[in-house]
Amino acid sequence: MTAIVEIDGQTGRLLLTGQFDFSAHRDFRQASDELLTAATVHDILVDFQQVDYLDSSALGMLLLLKEKAAAAGKTLALVNCRDTVRQVLEIACFGKIFTIR
Amino acid sequence: MKILLADDAEVVRLMMGRFVESLGHKLILANDGVEAVERCLSDRPDMVLMDMLMPRMDGSEAARRIKQALGSQWVPIVMVTAVEEVSKLADAMESAVDDYILKPVNFRILEAKIKAIERTVELHRKVVEQSAALAEYYDRAEEEKRVARHLMEQLVNRERLSDPQLHYWIAPASSLSGDLIASARTPGQVMHLMLADGIGHGLTAALNVLPLTQPFYAMTERGFSLTDILIEMHRKVRQVLPAGRFVALAFVSVDFVNRRIEIWNGGIPDIRLFDCNGGLLKRWKSQHLPLGILPPDQLDLQTERFVFETRASLVLCSDGLLEARNAEGQTFGAVRLAHASSGYYAADALTSTVNSLADFLQGESCHDDVSLAIVDIDPSAALPLPEPSPQRNELPETVGDADWRYLLSLGPHELRNLQVVPLIMGFIAQTRSLIDSHADIFLILTELFVNALDHGLLQLSSDLKSSQDGMERYLLERALRLAELKEGRIEIELAGHTLGGGKILRIRVSDSGKGFPYEKAGAPDIARPSGRGITLVRALSTALHFYGNGNTVEAFYLPRSAS
Repeated sequence: MTAIVEIDGQTGRLLLTGQFDFSAHRDFRQASDELLTAATVHDILVDFQQVDYLDSSALGMLLLLKEKAAAAGKTLALVNCRDTVRQVLEIACFGKIFTIR
Repeated sequence: MKILLADDAEVVRLMMGRFVESLGHKLILANDGVEAVERCLSDRPDMVLMDMLMPRMDGSEAARRIKQALGSQWVPIVMVTAVEEVSKLADAMESAVDDYILKPVNFRILEAKIKAIERTVELHRKVVEQSAALAEYYDRAEEEKRVARHLMEQLVNRERLSDPQLHYWIAPASSLSGDLIASARTPGQVMHLMLADGIGHGLTAALNVLPLTQPFYAMTERGFSLTDILIEMHRKVRQVLPAGRFVALAFVSVDFVNRRIEIWNGGIPDIRLFDCNGGLLKRWKSQHLPLGILPPDQLDLQTERFVFETRASLVLCSDGLLEARNAEGQTFGAVRLAHASSGYYAADALTSTVNSLADFLQGESCHDDVSLAIVDIDPSAALPLPEPSPQRNELPETVGDADWRYLLSLGPHELRNLQVVPLIMGFIAQTRSLIDSHADIFLILTELFVNALDHGLLQLSSDLKSSQDGMERYLLERALRLAELKEGRIEIELAGHTLGGGKILRIRVSDSGKGFPYEKAGAPDIARPSGRGITLVRALSTALHFYGNGNTVEAFYLPRSAS
């Protein structure tokens, strides 16, 4: 999976492409750290438009990001979730603790 | 480095030899191809400098022999050759020779080549070292997995999964499954079934689900309810697992007597109940976050209940089954599962599904652990009422005859906060003489205590309980009244007496309520023993007496001896 960082003013977008599983660990963390440390960024969006697969390790990574975002005083939202991604997030009831669009 | 120099001309051996030594390397000499091979095998040089044309055996042949003899151990061979021998050189390089230098030898180039080869030798040495380390690591990892698998099996205790109503299948993606299926019966014969799916699969996932086993088995054995056990498992998971790790869990409780299914689903795919024609009776979607994510006080314990009338199959699986992919990239999916598992009784439904998956995969392996559990929801599977025990004539008249007594006196606050029956069962579990009577005592105690609390103090009526949502309304009303209870007291006494050489147990429960018309109690409903109530207590006890206006009950019980 590739993770591209896009910063637009206060909004930092993490564009993910491909399969979001354990092997994405390092790339995801590097990209999220970039957004977490960027001083101008206040709102972090994780964009799933190009993600076709999401597994439980990915859910774990999202949980960790949520904690770090809260600690950094930034907001977090999961956007452009479709099909499989939406289904996995629904079964895990992640809508109860994440903003999902 | 140790460098082997093979040349038939003595003058070359002398000049090149001295040069090589002057660069700081150790020199080994050979006069021809045969000697070159011999010295290579005996001295194991790091590099070979060999002349192409030599008597007895030429450079190309010697190079081939050396490479063959050394096998996987690699030594760089540099051929010293004249321009005219180029095609022979090319042949040799294709199979055995790694580099060449032209005659007359330019010593500056020779020095540079030796340095370049040194780098390659170092690289090769590193690769060999890392490969060895990797092989060792792999062996250790496999050993650890073997130990972990053994531990898992002990903790999960496969024998306990031999409940006649449970049919299950686990196929790990690698050697150890991160999915867990656990099943046990409460002393009241209610089946508790848990399907847990930790993050990932393999050893780390298996470790995620391990903290669940002890609370599940220990508390089910004591008669704790589904929600009590969930609270404890959630607490354990939070305590033990690192951040970002969680366990998806479905907790199923099947009361075959009262024909009730109660389920808490946090992160497991839809659980379905099919009748024997394949019709869908009920679906339990995941309503909660998996265990370990929310803080303990925010855990949502809301369960969904269903009362069943006819025989049915309850189908649960982990997402590994639904997401199993075949060579065309399609997933097995919920539709195929429904098709394969409905319309059969549970055991056949399991076989049908396992076969269906095998057909679908056509030899492809699953990338995630696959777990499937099917419960045979059989209304006739409830254990029959026990035979009424023989009456005893002598019964102790005064409490002074007791060998031991256990007394509890509880006010509203304690009644709200304590899990009374499991608490007492903890004590009973420690009493050696009562070991085989565990289940019976649980049933008697539960019935008498529930009567005292629900009917005595809270003044609830059983009539509400019989319908589908009647149970919900009853429980809601009960919770409300218990929360608002201001006064009242329940006293529970257990005493062990010796009587005519044997032991007898006395259980006495009294409440401060208004009492009830106990003469009417105990009319057995053979067709539909809902709750069983006092009938059961009568059947289990040697004697049953009501005092006061029905708010004190005393049961005498003959402990079972080990058979």
